[in-house]
Amino acid sequence: MSSKELEESLSELQVGKRQSVQNDMSEGEVQVSCFTEDLHDVTLHFQIVKFSKQIYAWIGCNSAKLGHLYAAATTRPNNIVSVTSILGGTSDNTGSSIARRLVLKTGLNIVVACNIPKDSPMLEATAERKLTERLASLGYFRPREI
Amino acid sequence: MAAQFPVAHKSFSLDIKGNKTDIVICKYDDNFLVMVTQIGCMGTILHARKEEGVSTEPTFHVAVIFGKRDEPFLAACARQLIENISSCGSTRPLVLSLGLKDHSPGTMKEIIYAVMENRLW
Repeated sequence: MSSKELEESLSELQVGKRQSVQNDMSEGEVQVSCFTEDLHDVTLHFQIVKFSKQIYAWIGCNSAKLGHLYAAATTRPNNIVSVTSILGGTSDNTGSSIARRLVLKTGLNIVVACNIPKDSPMLEATAERKLTERLASLGYFRPREI
Repeated sequence: MAAQFPVAHKSFSLDIKGNKTDIVICKYDDNFLVMVTQIGCMGTILHARKEEGVSTEPTFHVAVIFGKRDEPFLAACARQLIENISSCGSTRPLVLSLGLKDHSPGTMKEIIYAVMENRLW
C-alpha cells in the first residue's frame, strides 16, 4: 500500500540520484546508493551499501565525518536483536537505536555509521525515517511484516 | 545542478583466485573506509591509524574491532594500507572490513594491490 505511493513519489527523485548506484544487476552485486536530504536547518547525507547478507549505512549530519560505528544483528536466543558499538560510541544512543530498528525491519545484519549530535532525538527520528523510506523503495526490506 | 555528494566512493569487483571479490572504497572527512568482501557481508572490521610520535619513522596502531582476532594476515593487510595512506601524505585513519573466504598471503597481496590501484588518497 504505502510502498506503492512511496515508489511513485520517489521515482522522480531516483532519476537524478540513481546515477550513483552502480552494479544494480544481480543479487550478488554490491550496490551503493547515496542521497542527500535538506531539512530547514540541517543537511542529512545518506550512503547505503548493500551486500547480499548485510547492509552498511552512513548518516552524515552537515558534515562528511564517519562518526560512530555500530553493528546490529539478530542473535540467539529467539532471534532477538543485539547492538554493539564498534568504533567511537560510548553510552551515546544516537545510531545504535537506528541500527537496532533497521535489523528489525530488514532482517539483515546491519552496520551503521552515524555522526548525528547527541541530544537531538527529532533529528535522529527524521534521519531514521528517511533512511527507512529509501531502503523500502530500494526493495531491501525482507517481507517479515507481522 | 545538485551539489556533489560529500563522500567520494569507488565500487568495483574483481576475481581473486576464483573468488569474486567486491571492493568499496569511501573517503570521509576524517577517515577512509575500505570494504572488501567475498562472502556477502563485511566480515572482520579493523581500525588502523598513524600514531603521533617524536621519532622520524611513523608508527601505526592496527586493531581488529569486530570479528576474527586470530588471523594475522588481516592485520598485516590493514598495516600495509595504512602505511600506504601515510606515505601518500594523509594522516587519516582507516576502517577496513575484510569478509574473505581465503586468508592466504596471495589473496592479501591481490587485495592490497587492487585497493592501492583504486585508492582515494
